[in-house]
Amino acid sequence: MPDIDLFSWWAIIISGGSIFHILVSIYLYANTKTRREKSKQASKSAISLLENFVFVWVLLGLLIFYIVSIQIGSAIIFAAGNIFVEAVLIVYLIKNRKRESE
Amino acid sequence: MIQVLLRQFKNPIFAILIACAVVAGIFSELKQAIIILLMIALSVILGFYNEYKAEKTVRDLKKNVSIKAVVVRNCKSSQIDSKLLVPGDLVSLYVGDIVPADMRIVKAKDLQTDEATFTGESFPVEKISDRLDLQHPTPQQLTNYLFMGTVVVHGSGQGVVFSTGKNTELGAISKSLARSHPETEFQRGIKKYGTMLLTLTVALAIGIFSLNAVVGHPLVDSLLFSLAVAVGLVPELMPAIVTISLAQGAARLAKVQVVVKRLVSIEDFGNMDVLCTDKTGTLTEGRIILHDCQSLGEVADGRLLTYSLLCNSAVVGETIVGNPMDTAIWEHAIQNNAQETLGSYTKIDEIPFDYQRRIMSTVVKKDDTYILISKGAPESIFAKCEQAEIGGRTEPISAVQKAIDSKFLNLSQLGYRILAVACRRVEARVSYTVEDEKELILLGFLIFTDPPKHDAHQAMIKLKEMGVGVKILTGDNELVARTICEELKVPVKKVVSGSDLMQMSLNEIKAVVEETTIFARITPEQKLDIIKALKANGHVVGFMGDGVNDAPALYEADVGISVDTGVDVAKEAADIVLLKKDLLVLVSGIIEGRKIFGNTIKYILMGTSSNFGNMFSAAAASVFLPFLPMLPMQILFMNLLYDVANMTLPTDNVDEEYIKKPKRWDISFVRKYTLFFGPFSSLYDFLTYGIMLFIFIAPLNLNLADPQQLAIAAGLFQSGWFVESFWTEVLVMFVIRTRRIPFLTSRPGKWLTVLTLSCVAFGTILPFTLLGDYLGFTALPPNYWLLLILMVATYLLLVDAGKVFFYRICKF
Repeated sequence: MPDIDLFSWWAIIISGGSIFHILVSIYLYANTKTRREKSKQASKSAISLLENFVFVWVLLGLLIFYIVSIQIGSAIIFAAGNIFVEAVLIVYLIKNRKRESE
Repeated sequence: MIQVLLRQFKNPIFAILIACAVVAGIFSELKQAIIILLMIALSVILGFYNEYKAEKTVRDLKKNVSIKAVVVRNCKSSQIDSKLLVPGDLVSLYVGDIVPADMRIVKAKDLQTDEATFTGESFPVEKISDRLDLQHPTPQQLTNYLFMGTVVVHGSGQGVVFSTGKNTELGAISKSLARSHPETEFQRGIKKYGTMLLTLTVALAIGIFSLNAVVGHPLVDSLLFSLAVAVGLVPELMPAIVTISLAQGAARLAKVQVVVKRLVSIEDFGNMDVLCTDKTGTLTEGRIILHDCQSLGEVADGRLLTYSLLCNSAVVGETIVGNPMDTAIWEHAIQNNAQETLGSYTKIDEIPFDYQRRIMSTVVKKDDTYILISKGAPESIFAKCEQAEIGGRTEPISAVQKAIDSKFLNLSQLGYRILAVACRRVEARVSYTVEDEKELILLGFLIFTDPPKHDAHQAMIKLKEMGVGVKILTGDNELVARTICEELKVPVKKVVSGSDLMQMSLNEIKAVVEETTIFARITPEQKLDIIKALKANGHVVGFMGDGVNDAPALYEADVGISVDTGVDVAKEAADIVLLKKDLLVLVSGIIEGRKIFGNTIKYILMGTSSNFGNMFSAAAASVFLPFLPMLPMQILFMNLLYDVANMTLPTDNVDEEYIKKPKRWDISFVRKYTLFFGPFSSLYDFLTYGIMLFIFIAPLNLNLADPQQLAIAAGLFQSGWFVESFWTEVLVMFVIRTRRIPFLTSRPGKWLTVLTLSCVAFGTILPFTLLGDYLGFTALPPNYWLLLILMVATYLLLVDAGKVFFYRICKF
């Protein structure tokens, strides 16, 4: 076992988990028949790709934020960051659902 | 009873659980072994109770089948149980008798049998004793044979038994029912899921055990921890939840008069995408009615009905007894108050029907006029006619023969059964003979039909809307089947007959079943071949029938549906029996099946992904932590609590769009779902590790090398993770149970909400209780709760955003 401290272990595992999740998302996105069918009609612009992966960007942002806030060990920063992310996600979900219902 | 009990253990999930209980027991971890055994017992008792009850109903149904026979032995006639008949016995048969064996007719007097349950033919079949010269005859063509299970509806006869019991045509059908029910699509899906889970569990358990052993944790602790993780991964109450879902669905269906005999078929009921149905008695009323009386001219002639009542062999009392056509005439007349016109007629004489003439005649007197009325097969009546009455005028029959033939042909092609009516004035006499049946004047036709059920058309429309294709499999002829389709507005793509099918290979049948709407003149074996071909093509196939000839197909289909008026053999072979004639209950059944399937899939998706996420994080933590992230007992307890929260999932609401189309088991979808949503849970578990280790444990400045201080850290860590893990695992149910916005546009079931929130509350206070203390938990600091609420809220929103992404790329 490499001799590294508990925090580094933790940071490696949570980063590893996030990367695994992002890879799964990319794999599903690239291999799903439904997406391939849709992609024939949808534009292949970078914007649509960015839009489709919103939750991945949020996840990456959250990962960095969580690692930093826990390294600092501040419950207040942790709480404030969560509230900010929740607000971002609520706006995204409302916008997205409106678009789907249209 | 023992068989039913043993069947409960055939599930691979139980295999994992039993193995875990045995290993835990061997290593003296009795507490764990008992918890696992309690879970197994709960599932087995529920499954056994429901299946045993269902099988008892089937056994009770079987008891009702018993046929008696009048047999002539040593010149003496006696009534015996049909089971005692032997080949060579001479059996006498009368109206109402059920034919007790297969026999060759030696004597027939106006003998007619109802073979609808056997061949699908709606109209009575005339039986004769003459020798037939046929090459490869179908049962329908063997008019000098009587088949066991058919019913004598007219006349009498005698036959010599040549086959009894299992050797009869009916016996051959019953023999095919003796084997066990083929697996339903749902059962196949569950099996695949079990195999996937087994592979994942074994791989994870071996991986965790090896990793823990490598990092230096004690071997027994590592083994028990890896087993607990394996158990944690298994949705052990799934069999119970599925059984409860099915039993509750069956209870709801019973309220709309649908009896579910085999619980597991409900899900296939919802998922079926092809419904094959017999015609007679299922789509149609299964009884003959007088559809119309058509004169030869434009104007209706009231005499047609009056004369057919006068020339009628039915006996009218409290009930009407007679051959089906004469009975139908009377029923029609009574409905239309037409019998009142009979008062002015006096019956003088009757010339009975016989199969040579195929005519019945009556002589009546009205005022001073004597009229001979003849009614019978059109071809026979035409031969006796010299004139035809058209629009009040009489014309020589030769002048209008072409038009009459054309009318008769058109009606026959529409699938109607026709009788012709003719008359003439005769001189006054006391009695008359068949020689008087001459120089008749043709009046018109009586048109008979087996009408479609009143709601069959609406049911067909609904089925189409729900994505269920309908195919008609009938022993009746193509014309009759086409007419029914037209009346029900079922578009007919292609018609294939039994003799066409006989020439086809299995691969050809598989190709032809896709584009064919009507299969006419087919045998019970061919019905079976069609069902098998459709199943092989990947369809979930339902079959609806009520006759003996339908029984093998009812058995083979993923879901066999019969009606209460069906014969016992059909009801016995069916999975579902409709007690009401209302076909719309089919739609209710399908919706119920889809709801149950939807809720079962919810449980599987949520359980597998949450358990996978949690156990994956447990495995990762066990590698770098100096203590176990959760004790095996705590894992098992959390699992049990999670399953309790899920107990009311069968009562959850299902979104409308989910039940619009049939769904299929898609194991690759379950895999993708687990891979995508499982890591969400793991990430928040990892985050909790960070919070517990670096925000709550680090400030305590504990020396983790000291066993006592290590235990304090472990208790706090395990409690913090237990609560977070339980909250996320249970609350995420509200997010992923629907594709819509949770609570706002899709409300969860009342009982699900109440029980889930109660379980969350119980899990929250658990660390502060004696039970929590017993399980190794400690009280958590106030700040923890604030962070937990915020963190779980972010998690739920993130999963909802992930849901948008996932369903955009993965369809189910």
